[in-house]
Amino acid sequence: MTDTAPIHAPPSDRQGDAIARFMESERRRTRRELWTNRLLALGFGLFVLALWAIATHGGFVHKLIIPTPLATLEAAGRVSAADYFWPNVWVTLQEIFWGFVIGMAAGAFFGILVAMFAPVRATLYPYLVALQAPPKIVLAPIFVTWFGFDMESKIAISVVMCFFPMFLNTLTGLSAVDPNAIKLMRSLTASRWQTFRHLLLPNAAPIMMAGVKLCWTLAVLGVIVGEFVGASAGIGYLIYAMNFQLDIPAVFFLIILLSVFTLIVYQVIEWLEGRVIFWNSL
Amino acid sequence: MTQDIITGSGVSKVYATATGPLVALDDVSFGIREGEFISLVGPSGCGKSTLLSILGGLEDKSLGRLEIDGREIDRPRADVGMMFQTPVLFPWRTIRENVRLPGEILRLNKTEQKARTEELLEMVGLSGFGDRYPGELSGGMRQRVGLARLLAHDPKVLMMDEPFGALDEFTRETMNIELLRIWEAMRKTVIFVTHNIGEAVFLSDRVFVMTPRPGRLEGIVEIDLPRPRTPEIMREARYGELVFQIRRMLGVDH
Repeated sequence: MTDTAPIHAPPSDRQGDAIARFMESERRRTRRELWTNRLLALGFGLFVLALWAIATHGGFVHKLIIPTPLATLEAAGRVSAADYFWPNVWVTLQEIFWGFVIGMAAGAFFGILVAMFAPVRATLYPYLVALQAPPKIVLAPIFVTWFGFDMESKIAISVVMCFFPMFLNTLTGLSAVDPNAIKLMRSLTASRWQTFRHLLLPNAAPIMMAGVKLCWTLAVLGVIVGEFVGASAGIGYLIYAMNFQLDIPAVFFLIILLSVFTLIVYQVIEWLEGRVIFWNSL
Repeated sequence: MTQDIITGSGVSKVYATATGPLVALDDVSFGIREGEFISLVGPSGCGKSTLLSILGGLEDKSLGRLEIDGREIDRPRADVGMMFQTPVLFPWRTIRENVRLPGEILRLNKTEQKARTEELLEMVGLSGFGDRYPGELSGGMRQRVGLARLLAHDPKVLMMDEPFGALDEFTRETMNIELLRIWEAMRKTVIFVTHNIGEAVFLSDRVFVMTPRPGRLEGIVEIDLPRPRTPEIMREARYGELVFQIRRMLGVDH
């Protein structure tokens, strides 16, 4: 594709050199700022770590309340080498995956249904909004009763947690459209499906992606809470058991592990988001 | 040229509001010939945009008859193209893909549309920008893309609702000159809504002067300025007379 004209006019020859020097200094300044910011963030992290080390090794906080960084590191080696570790991680991973995927798909599906079909909206919308208000966590014990101690109950809780943000964001995204764009599609005699595919869906993508990110953290939350309430396997189950045995360093390790995992996937979703809705940065 | 392509008789639009009926358009009758450039001019609330919406089949009229090509207007039709005050480009489509939207919606021949898109981009002075995204273009350039898209499926009638109203004065004038140039070449029927009297006189064959509360067609002014027109025409006495005549009809000068 050679079909791209320059958007900006090139500088005049007389000033060309001066402008090149100016651009170079601007580039240097931006780079310097970037590194300063990175160092500041890294420095703060090290500061907190040091505070943690001093407070625990110095004996200011009892090690049963907060373990030392070294004890946590030792627990990391011990727990991750144990036989029970990977099977439990695998269980939690599967629960999170299914909870996230099913909850997200169901939320998007009902969001589209309610946004696109007036009778569906009239029928379901009041109930879906009313159901959205109470905290979904209260369902956890019931779901364990219904679906048992295995993965199904955790997936169910996770699905319910994911559903509402995805549903509401899909609905909002599909509704937040320029009225003139709708008029344009109507004037072109576009069908409902064409309007949906060419206008409404891509237009909703940014708000839907925000919903996906919300879903992700809630899917993890739902699974772990479910495992606290009643489970025979999983990271949440391990945290609960280790806590009961007062193996606080192991608990700390598992919490950190879970946080890092959630964060990494979150970053991947954000990267994907930038790919999908590339036009927001133009 | 003498055949009326669009006819309206006794067209009214009434909205039911909490405080009673609101008459947006009151008993409007007119005929528009094929290939004519018509402007609807008047202040806010005179019903000019409402009339255009009804002509485009986007809104229902309350009373009267309104026909294009002898067929009652009761829905949008593919041979009527519409353009709005905002360019409404889709930011996720390149310029080229935006111009190809009507062809995709109407499932027109892909090879022909491809060639036509390049022709149109050339015509609006944007060849070389086909692979850009709307977010990278200036307001004037975006409205040029809107103009190219308007013509993409070769509609017989063009309905333009203050298409250059959001542009600055200089860009607007450039766009008007461009529009005239393109219209001279294609001779499509154009209905152009504006509140700028000078713009209406410069562009049109006839100006429909509309007054508000209730929206009425006050009168129709024949613009007997020669064509093709250049901005030079604005220095002529006849141009000034016509502008003044319309101003008087609108009650601007007392």
